[in-house]
Amino acid sequence: MIDLSRSRTVETSRTPKIGGWIAVPVGILLIIAIGAVLSPRFLSISNFSNILLSMSIVGMIVVGMTFVFISGGMADLSVPATLATGAIIVLRAQPVLGTLGAVVVAVLASGLAGLVNGLLIGYAKANPIIVTLGVGTIVLGLAQAFVGGVIVYGTDPSTGDFVKSQIFGIPMIVVIFIIIAIIGHILLSRSTWGRWTYAVGSNYRATEASAVPVRNIKAGAFVLTAVLTGVSGVLLGLSLQSARPLIGTGYEFDAITAVVVGGVSLFGGFGSIPRAIGGLLFVQLLTNVLVLQGVPTPVQGLAKGILIAGAVAVDMYLRRKGGRS
Amino acid sequence: MSKVARRELFGTLATYRVIVFLAVTLVVSSIVVPTFFTVSTLGLTLDRAATIGIIAVGLTVLLIAGQIDLSSTAVLALSGIVAISFQGQIGSVPAAILGVLVGTVVGVVNGILVVKFQVNSLVATLAMMLSVRAIAHWVTNSQPISGVDVLFGLGVSRSIGGIFTFRSLLFLALILALSFWLTRTVAGRNLFAVGSNATAATASGVRTKRYLYGGFTFAGTCSGVAGVIQSLSVNTGSPVFGDTLIVVVVAAVVVGGTRIEGGRGSALGTLGGVLTLTALTIAMEYQSVSAYVQQVVTGTILILLILLDRTVSGNMRRTIRIGMLFRRIAAV
Repeated sequence: MIDLSRSRTVETSRTPKIGGWIAVPVGILLIIAIGAVLSPRFLSISNFSNILLSMSIVGMIVVGMTFVFISGGMADLSVPATLATGAIIVLRAQPVLGTLGAVVVAVLASGLAGLVNGLLIGYAKANPIIVTLGVGTIVLGLAQAFVGGVIVYGTDPSTGDFVKSQIFGIPMIVVIFIIIAIIGHILLSRSTWGRWTYAVGSNYRATEASAVPVRNIKAGAFVLTAVLTGVSGVLLGLSLQSARPLIGTGYEFDAITAVVVGGVSLFGGFGSIPRAIGGLLFVQLLTNVLVLQGVPTPVQGLAKGILIAGAVAVDMYLRRKGGRS
Repeated sequence: MSKVARRELFGTLATYRVIVFLAVTLVVSSIVVPTFFTVSTLGLTLDRAATIGIIAVGLTVLLIAGQIDLSSTAVLALSGIVAISFQGQIGSVPAAILGVLVGTVVGVVNGILVVKFQVNSLVATLAMMLSVRAIAHWVTNSQPISGVDVLFGLGVSRSIGGIFTFRSLLFLALILALSFWLTRTVAGRNLFAVGSNATAATASGVRTKRYLYGGFTFAGTCSGVAGVIQSLSVNTGSPVFGDTLIVVVVAAVVVGGTRIEGGRGSALGTLGGVLTLTALTIAMEYQSVSAYVQQVVTGTILILLILLDRTVSGNMRRTIRIGMLFRRIAAV
């Protein structure tokens, strides 16, 4: 795939990016203000806890997707398949292996799909979007064949209650998400792996020449995304106590929208977990306002499509501008 | 056989794999489907191939130019919906034209996003896929709709001369026209230059941007045509049409030897790729292989071929003609 826009010389200036730091928080405050004016229900505790819950499930995927974006791996479109794998396997395996065993097996199975992605993208250097599209089709097909295309129901409602329980008034899923986000942030910003991820994304060849295991880093981002998506699928499956093969449809776009709106660059080398989560919060609040206003569900898809294209176009514009100044 | 010769043979096989694939698939199909080589089954195969084939024609042009269109199967759904839902108000033919125009408009928007705003075509068309699919769900309330003019739709799938139908003839005509354009005209050759190295092509006086706009518009229009024909033939428009088709279309084009990386491909290859995947689908359906397993097979074919392309890409930079393939096999 040729890329008309890719030029190494324009990536040095970070000046326009400072504006990007303010844009998302301002946007979030703006949306909250608009929401509060438009709907009295918007500022209620129950509404915010709903936003937090749905945000947490997507948020785990967003953490992984941020690694993929920063390492220059574009995006992972196999998310719906790996999420369904996690949800289906955990419910299916629970009676046989017990809860802990089932969770481990489900997350490992999802991780395996990520490993296939990673090997093809990191080692064979194949196009990430086509690979994850293909692998996603295979994995989803396997998952559907495995359960015969029907819904899998849970056998142990107590685990569902555990997942839906609260710790100090905060839902369990939100707590797990916060822990994952903090660990992901520390990994990305403080660890060698994190620094290498930035390096691979901003200049692959120079990083390779510096004896960094570039292939592992690229592959690792996809494995991490798949594992976190698996965790997210497990939690979703357990809390709903049912899983159908198409349970993960749309989560890939939710995660991609959040990451690009947060200002993480699609071309690699720039971004952070807090930025991506800021983007996620913005998109979730926007969706919530739309829902409260009674806007039909498909319009949210339209809004996400426009947000993705718009955010990437703005990123490109800022890059070109940064190159000239 | 020397190492170099073996490598070249491998590379040549990778380029002309479509012949091998098609031959193997036809043999397998004729074994599992006893009536496969009858006129009616072959005609059915061509008819089935037409919808993904027409989309694949547009995608071939874009892939050669180094771009991609992931929004095509969403356009398929929306164009069909438009062609069906406006039948009662403006008549069948104008509604069909309007449906095709929807595809053209989406193609132009894709072109603007990629050329003017320099958004990577994978992401731009992914965003468009999401948006167009959302619009399709929005205007139909996620319900399938049926048309008022049943007879009009019969025309596209009615048999012509025993073996062909309107849409399969249209597909074959598009393939032949594209083949002529790509191999016999300057503009067609320039397209390969745009896909191999856009900067060099621009420097040599090729109007790269114009080719890209044209490519996206053509691909969008093709998807529109495919969508209108598909919906007319079943007299139904549905927002979920083509939901899982994008992998099949991309796989068909890639089986045909067109490279995801751009600068390489052929129309006849795409014809072979489309026929291969359709014959495979028919064979699997005949054996009542479940739809899920069919998905797995299509996905696996796509992944394996992309892997093959990656492994032989380094030493295969020049084009080799079919005659050379046979000479080389003879030399071994």
